[in-house]
Amino acid sequence: MSLNLLICDDSGFARKQMAKSLPPDWNVDIHFATDGVEGINAIREGKGDIVLLDLTMPNMDGFGVLEIIRREDLPAMVIVVSGDIQPEARKRVLDLGALAFIEKPIDTDKARRVLTEYGILTGI
Amino acid sequence: MSYACAITEDQRDCYQELTNVAMGRAAERLAKLLDTFVQLPVPRVSMIENSDIQMAIQEVGQDSSVSAVCQGFAGSGVVGETLLIFKDTSFANLASIMNYTGPLSRQAELELLMDTASILIGTCIRGIGEQLEIDFNQSHPVILGQHCQTADILKSGNSTWHNTLAIEIHYKLENANVECDLLLLFSEESVNILNKKIDFLLD
Repeated sequence: MSLNLLICDDSGFARKQMAKSLPPDWNVDIHFATDGVEGINAIREGKGDIVLLDLTMPNMDGFGVLEIIRREDLPAMVIVVSGDIQPEARKRVLDLGALAFIEKPIDTDKARRVLTEYGILTGI
Repeated sequence: MSYACAITEDQRDCYQELTNVAMGRAAERLAKLLDTFVQLPVPRVSMIENSDIQMAIQEVGQDSSVSAVCQGFAGSGVVGETLLIFKDTSFANLASIMNYTGPLSRQAELELLMDTASILIGTCIRGIGEQLEIDFNQSHPVILGQHCQTADILKSGNSTWHNTLAIEIHYKLENANVECDLLLLFSEESVNILNKKIDFLLD
């Protein structure tokens, strides 16, 4: 069974950038969410084994998503992809349980490096 | 000469995302300088009529006096103005964060305003330029007013643009009563050039 990967960002342009940055030979089912509320719903439906999560979003931001994932102990590995590069933002998301932080704009190299480093990308 | 300029929803979204990245960099520099956390909002991108600029900036200046700086920028045929509007109540807090001691003179406030403006405006403009491969040059910043109403700021403003691409960012420092609005305004001639670059990114 292939992995479910969720891309959660309010910007269509950013969602496309993230999807394009993934290794082309990686066998994952890609799902999309346009804000934190949609993101949490998708994760509850099992569409977010791996989540690429933006921070600055309307309705519910990325910090809120991480808090709910932790409170409800949802099975999601979260990689934050954000333009908010304040050291404090990075620290907060890692404290909230995110696995890694990728600085926007994301590209193929950044994505592959992080996915490999955390053993998410195996066998290709 | 009139330019029919408009932006599609995809283009608007792309401008917003480029701004997101640029304002994140500016926030990082400000956060380092002030050793604090800057709360980042979703930036607002829209085409507005000249008469609406007033409305766009009123939010920050509502019921309070403001101080404002403007600074022009230009590169690759794209020209624009930035407007940074500070709530006057922000200065006392900003001063204490930056370890200013003693009474806050008008001159000291001016320094705080200019220091913050140079970081927020400069980093943001460069950040957007970099992503669009435009090397922006900036003119000298100009004080539009200290302790005045938002209506007074625009009296000295540029009234020759009829239709403007406006990007608005509302910065707030966490746990400190410091708020400002950064408004980026692009001339109507610039929008067509920018849109071409944006379409290239969207492709």
